[in-house]
Amino acid sequence: MEEKILEFGRLLRKGGLSISFSQIADALRATAEVGFQFKDFYQALACTMICEKADKPLFDKMFRLFFLTLPVSQHDRKNGDGQLVNTENAGYFIELARSAEGIGQGRGGGASPALLLVKAVRDGNYSLLNQLAQLAFKSLGNSKREDLANLEQLIVQAKVSIGWYEAVNRLERIREKEKVNEITYSRWLECLNYLEDRIKELLEEYFVITFGQDALEEIASAANIREKEFYQLNNIEIDEIRKRITKLARKLASKYARRYRRAKHGEIDMRRTVRNALKTGGTPVCLRYRKKKLSKPEIVLLCDVSGSVAVFSEFMLQLVYTIQNRFRSVRSFLFVDRIEEVTNYFHNKDIEAALQEAFSKAHFSYSGFSDYGKVFTIFATKYLSSISPKSTLIILGDARNNWRSDEKDFLKQISEHVRKVLWFNPQPQSTWDSEDSIMKVYAPYCRQVFECRNLAQLEEVIEAIL
Amino acid sequence: MFGSVEELQKKLAACDYITDRHVVTIVYLALKLQKPLLVEGPAGVGKTELAKVLAQATNSRLIRLQCYEGLDEAKALYEWNYQKQLLRLHVAQTQSKDWEEAKQDIFTPEFLLRRPLLEALSSEEPVVLLIDEVDKSDEEFESFLLEILSDYQVTIPELGTVRSNHIPVVVLTSNSSREFGDALKRRCIHLYLDYPTFERELDIIHLKVPGIKDCLAQQIVSFVQVLRKQRLKKAPSIAETIDWARSIMTLGSKVVDEEIVQGTLNILLKYQSDIDKIYNKVSSLLPKM
Repeated sequence: MEEKILEFGRLLRKGGLSISFSQIADALRATAEVGFQFKDFYQALACTMICEKADKPLFDKMFRLFFLTLPVSQHDRKNGDGQLVNTENAGYFIELARSAEGIGQGRGGGASPALLLVKAVRDGNYSLLNQLAQLAFKSLGNSKREDLANLEQLIVQAKVSIGWYEAVNRLERIREKEKVNEITYSRWLECLNYLEDRIKELLEEYFVITFGQDALEEIASAANIREKEFYQLNNIEIDEIRKRITKLARKLASKYARRYRRAKHGEIDMRRTVRNALKTGGTPVCLRYRKKKLSKPEIVLLCDVSGSVAVFSEFMLQLVYTIQNRFRSVRSFLFVDRIEEVTNYFHNKDIEAALQEAFSKAHFSYSGFSDYGKVFTIFATKYLSSISPKSTLIILGDARNNWRSDEKDFLKQISEHVRKVLWFNPQPQSTWDSEDSIMKVYAPYCRQVFECRNLAQLEEVIEAIL
Repeated sequence: MFGSVEELQKKLAACDYITDRHVVTIVYLALKLQKPLLVEGPAGVGKTELAKVLAQATNSRLIRLQCYEGLDEAKALYEWNYQKQLLRLHVAQTQSKDWEEAKQDIFTPEFLLRRPLLEALSSEEPVVLLIDEVDKSDEEFESFLLEILSDYQVTIPELGTVRSNHIPVVVLTSNSSREFGDALKRRCIHLYLDYPTFERELDIIHLKVPGIKDCLAQQIVSFVQVLRKQRLKKAPSIAETIDWARSIMTLGSKVVDEEIVQGTLNILLKYQSDIDKIYNKVSSLLPKM
């Protein structure tokens, strides 16, 4: 069992939790105290290994998959003898999962799955929902190992097979027609979420049972939200990242506050010391110091908000405005193929509300396709004169210009005007300069170009502007 | 101290603290592994209460250190009683003793003001040390705390090292208004106390508001539970449910209806914006009868 716990710790690390050695040691001691009765065992591991509430969902999931789903034969297998994987055993598990109160083609009979789904949601009938999840999962047939990389797609497929979208549509109409109150509606949403989660769980279990440890590790790294690419995030994950950004901002703010407190005074101010020494007959009793100035950069953000970059831009705006007092001034601009200043939306306002307002009200898009050349032209002619030469200009974008003219001379003009230009690119570095991405055309005018695909990288690059 | 999780649960229940088994398991582990217990959760779910009850259940003395911004070693650990020392020196002067003698006199336990941490470490009997709202303290204090919590000893330069006879049961509580450093988190057993389930809360109401009718209690609890699911600035805590139940009892009402709720909503919700939000929706949130 010790080995299993060590292995489990390793898996959690892969999933992005930071588990120290002492935590593992505690977990071992704790399980020894309470024994292996399922619930106590779970609590013993949870209370020693989870440091933050936010980590609990991931922990629960890995616990379920590792201790309950992963076939036992896999653990005991020694010397990496892959052939020993007990396929019979695995098959049995799948059968068990699939036949478990299976809804059966017969029983579905007249009612289409969509209608059943509507009924299940309205009645809050969880066992029926469970059966529907099984049905959806079964419709996929046997997936291949490679399909695990496209789990989200599989889930959509499964949802289509039970008429999910039709059912959601129906529910919306019922809600309008029957004036369903908010509690009931939120209960419906809970049901739908449950169903979706359940399908995902079944799929993950299937992969873990069929393909073992290897698949489990892939699931763990896919769940690592810090390493997840921004454009792949779903809504729940976006919320999660928002929370983490707020936390990151708090950490950054306190970190610099502390640094500033320590170094409260700078070097000796001779003029004031001598002036003050007159009082004590020329003996400098009290030294006077120069105040240390905290360098506060002026920031100008140019945010591409087209398509996949929008999420990243939003995170960055949120982060920068949360630590606003770290900067002398922050000006922000949104663009797609036009550019508009949105600084005013953020004055004395809740950041989330301001973001929404800025995205809906500002005019930054005519065609919906980004046009960096046009944007730089407008920025250089219209706004540049009002930008302080001391500012740091940060461009957030993928440099995908849709084969339009690059107008790099205007970027050159901009970069000569401001102190430095930084470029944060949310796409993988390997895709730069392929297709319509023209990162290398713009790169010479930037002090630095950073790849910024996920939260872990965002944490790093934010240091570059502080 | 306790042989099993069940035994601890019984003891806690005997002290009128009703809670889920998993909470008890974690507390039990903290006791067994002799590690500090870090209790987090929304305000008013019984974090501080847990420490108090734990002291009662283990027959130990409760020593409480309330954290606040600017709390420092002098207030938390020990301080020399300067006034008394001065007085002593003054007296000594009249008796014309020399410095060495005087020094022997004034740096003795007699002139030491014991603050909660030292009190807990030097106590002869077993103690439960409650460090309340750690998140309110400064980061410097946190690292200082870390030092104490790792070896359970402290050195006073003039007197030597004080080592605790019994490793105290340490309970830290936090409303997570600030992030802790990783070091502190790693050193603790984590307990997240959430709002209780329907059945638990019902039990608690029956216990704390004797004489309440079951059907009324059920209505009260289910309304509060629904309320917690709304997007509020501050959701009602257990303490507020109890207060509310008491007020409804006092008003002599037999059922929870719209009028009663609207009249007493300010007991449950503490922000005007929350009250405004809920006020007109009350009827749709009330449990169906």
